Amino acid sequence: MVIWWYVVGGVVIIAGIFLMYYNRFVSLINQIENSLAQIDVQLKRRADLIPNLMESVKGYMKHEKSIVTEVTNARKLLVGAKGLNNRVKANEKLEGALGRLFAIAENYPNLKANETFVQLQQELSATEDKVAYSRQYYNDGIMSYNMSRRTIPGKWFASMYGFGEQKYLEISAAERVAPKVKFD
Amino acid sequence: MVERISFYDQISKNKRNSILLFGIVGALLIALIYSIAKAFSGLDSFIILIFAIIITTIYSLISYYSSDSIALMSVGAVKANPTLYRQYYNSVEGLTLASGIPMPQLYIMNNPQINAFATGRDPKHAVICVTTGALEKLNKQELEGVLAHEMSHIANYDIRFVTLTAILVGMISIVAQIFLRSLWFRDNDSDNNKARMIFLIIGIVLAILAPIVTSLVQLAISRKREYVADATAVKFTRTPTGLINALTKIKSNSEMKVSGSVAPLFLAKPNKAAELFSTHPDINSRIEVLRKM
Repeated sequence: MVIWWYVVGGVVIIAGIFLMYYNRFVSLINQIENSLAQIDVQLKRRADLIPNLMESVKGYMKHEKSIVTEVTNARKLLVGAKGLNNRVKANEKLEGALGRLFAIAENYPNLKANETFVQLQQELSATEDKVAYSRQYYNDGIMSYNMSRRTIPGKWFASMYGFGEQKYLEISAAERVAPKVKFD
Repeated sequence: MVERISFYDQISKNKRNSILLFGIVGALLIALIYSIAKAFSGLDSFIILIFAIIITTIYSLISYYSSDSIALMSVGAVKANPTLYRQYYNSVEGLTLASGIPMPQLYIMNNPQINAFATGRDPKHAVICVTTGALEKLNKQELEGVLAHEMSHIANYDIRFVTLTAILVGMISIVAQIFLRSLWFRDNDSDNNKARMIFLIIGIVLAILAPIVTSLVQLAISRKREYVADATAVKFTRTPTGLINALTKIKSNSEMKVSGSVAPLFLAKPNKAAELFSTHPDINSRIEVLRKM
């Protein structure tokens, strides 16, 4: 009689381990998907902020047509980009254009004193930070996912459940470096 | 990966520490109550026991569910206005994305010194509070370092641990106080029983020692947690510079007047205290460790 209890106990423990590993992979994938969604949310917010910024800049930067069109075009590219990888790339372009716009803005004291402009500048740099943080969390997620997929016993469970390798977002070298503003 | 392992390790270690602390405090509490029951005769001891259990249960439930508001009230903190303190909100929002924990509530306390604390019972019911001094004197990167340290306390479940230990220490002192005070109402003629006399003495010794022992255990664990929170903060911000610069600025802080029970919550210790009785490690050694990262 007693032996049956040991069998039942053993089966319960083994089933528990199987469930635990399944849930672990699922929750890691959830984390990865969630952080991807976050990157998109921030990129969307960024794109939404740009028209307001251009509106506040318009009156002051009449002679800076080229940078204004550069930013506007970069935004269009971001809004139109399909797929997250392209959006992230478009955002990098937009970041560069915005950096130049803010550098030029340094030459316009009236613009720098404009409260709306200052607020928008702060918001835009905050969304930039948030994009970087979401990417960081995304990469952390991928790292733990792939690590538990490659190590034993996770390796066995992953191939059994069919959880494949996840790819990192392609990240440019200038990731968390904000554009330096210099003027003489 | 190494970082990440130690990060999850810390959470389970904190849970283990909580159990250990519960064990020590629980054993002390039972020993104390047992000696009290033995020291008093019949009905007296029963009433005291019931009285003690009811008071400590009510006390610990109330404190557990309202610890954050009690802490915030005792330092006079107010909710931070999201439009006035954009930078503060933006930094914490960024850190929630980096750490994957929900957005805590943000508070501000009016004080010229640079300091901050996090409290609550879990990441879903968490609060961060910074001084007005910190918002004025720290730049964006330094503030982010400080906030990342506080977010680490939330992510590592330190906030729950600190809350629980504060409640347990309080519980022990309540029982000890009830016992010591009830001695005034003791019948004199029961003193001729020798065994009762011995338990009375044991009870008195325990009542005096137990609160001290539990606070020392609490403080030792609290100091270690600060280093871990610093390390986790670096994991979130990916650079130790902000936190190092903030801690360097904090070195010139003068003493803050806060009650002893909220002192362990703060980023840097608000009161001057000797190492054994201190809630925080020395700032210089924290900076030293951060520099090596």
